[in-house]
Amino acid sequence: MKEAKNKYLVEHAFRHGYGRIVSFLVHKFGPAHLEKIEDAVQDSLVKAMQVWAYETPPKNTTSWLLRVANNNLIDTLRRDKKMFHGDVNSIFNVDRSEQEEVNLNDTINDSQLKMIFACCHPSLSQEYQIVLSLKLIGGFGNKEIAKALLKKEESIAKSFTRAKNRLKHHVKTLDVPLEMGLSSRLAIVLKIIYLLFSEGYSTSFGEKLIKKDICLEAIRLAVLLSKNKYASQPEVHALLALMCFHAARFEARVDQNGDMVDLEHQDRSLYNWELIKIGIHHLENAAVDTNPSSYHLQAAISYYHSTAKNFDQTEWKSILRLYELQLSKQYSPIVQLNRIVPYHKVYGAEKALRELHDFEKSPYFLNDVLFYALKAAVLSELNRYEDAKSALKKAIALTTNTMEKVHLSKKLKALNS
Amino acid sequence: MSNFLFLFRGGDATWTEQTPEEMQAHMQKWGAWMGGLKEKGQLVDGLPLAKSGNVVHKSGEVITDGPFAEGAEVVGGYLIVSANDQKGAVEISKGCPIFEHDGNVEVREIMSMNM
Repeated sequence: MKEAKNKYLVEHAFRHGYGRIVSFLVHKFGPAHLEKIEDAVQDSLVKAMQVWAYETPPKNTTSWLLRVANNNLIDTLRRDKKMFHGDVNSIFNVDRSEQEEVNLNDTINDSQLKMIFACCHPSLSQEYQIVLSLKLIGGFGNKEIAKALLKKEESIAKSFTRAKNRLKHHVKTLDVPLEMGLSSRLAIVLKIIYLLFSEGYSTSFGEKLIKKDICLEAIRLAVLLSKNKYASQPEVHALLALMCFHAARFEARVDQNGDMVDLEHQDRSLYNWELIKIGIHHLENAAVDTNPSSYHLQAAISYYHSTAKNFDQTEWKSILRLYELQLSKQYSPIVQLNRIVPYHKVYGAEKALRELHDFEKSPYFLNDVLFYALKAAVLSELNRYEDAKSALKKAIALTTNTMEKVHLSKKLKALNS
Repeated sequence: MSNFLFLFRGGDATWTEQTPEEMQAHMQKWGAWMGGLKEKGQLVDGLPLAKSGNVVHKSGEVITDGPFAEGAEVVGGYLIVSANDQKGAVEISKGCPIFEHDGNVEVREIMSMNM
């Protein structure tokens, strides 16, 4: 009975519905009415909640919500005697056959894509771009965003209000053809999707369930892009592959006690092979003849990690080559530091330690947790336990991340015994 | 066995602050609760009510607009439930998800004609 009742109501139907309908209505009525649109959509959810508790939810929940929200909005706009253009009623008055249902979905996807580009408008700060994307496209609430980003709910609310005002000021209409200005904007959009994913993926803080949803939302947005003929660039597929490979390891990164598990000790049977396969598919679609993007290189590294039998039997040589390629394209201290892991595996601890000694000349690494953690790993392999311990202690003192602190303390304990 | 009318009041004051995810979760609790009643054969009828309405006085000489009182006092929906007695009906009402949001349930026996 319970199953039958909620048969059509997929997980996150409300949250996804919210994002879809807001985009659709902003596209139709313009960003100027953003607040009223949000209210109208929220009201449609309240109504759905009341009615669907008694009855079986409709087959197409989104179009039901869309109709209600649209009517709510028109009522409000009429009451406010605001003029608006366009005959929106016509879409809803016709009998919706299967074919039109498909068209409606296309229109919604199209407006969501346009909404992504609007939320990533270059005049908005990165923080605003993230909050807008999560709220208006993802359908996340302030509460959830605050929990995931470890911020206060009020500060998310404030930043959302400011971001909205800026958006309204700079974006008058979403009705810009997607193909225009795409190449310049696509890089920002990809960066924001990547940041969304990273926020969700970081083990540092926040509620795990919501964080996972943010990762999946980032993937969903990238999938939307990949399905559009103008936006479906190799970088989009590379980013998608990268996110799939990472997301595949989501469950393996934390053990039953909620403690962090590093790559070396992860239970690889927990990796999600369905996601890995999707990742491989996108990696194939991402192929470029020359000049692979940073997403390409990171995706390739992640591919080797996700598909390796175990830590030791990983394609360390290939991974090392990829890190070096990345460094040759653009220097980054983080990449240089991470390169030590495959370098250590390929050339041994002795040489890795020498590389790390060179690092100590650079001020960048003096306060870096990862630097000391890597140093400790290399030193303990060389049986220099006292030095390893002092490196670990430094790492523990430097980290502000509680999970990491627990993780490193465990390692220190193992060295002591 | 008698039928009982459940009147739901309140419990919706804070919906504007809830996230879509929370609303869906709450709704699914209602669905599960009512599904359970239906399975046990206790659910006779029920529907939600629209927020606004009218109150008609003096044969229509005075018609006021609803909502009629504070949000918490507006009837948001009703159910007709079958139970052994008043006590049993109250027992059934205890599982209602409306209590999560400070709402209440009024439980009234529906008088039978063939007494």
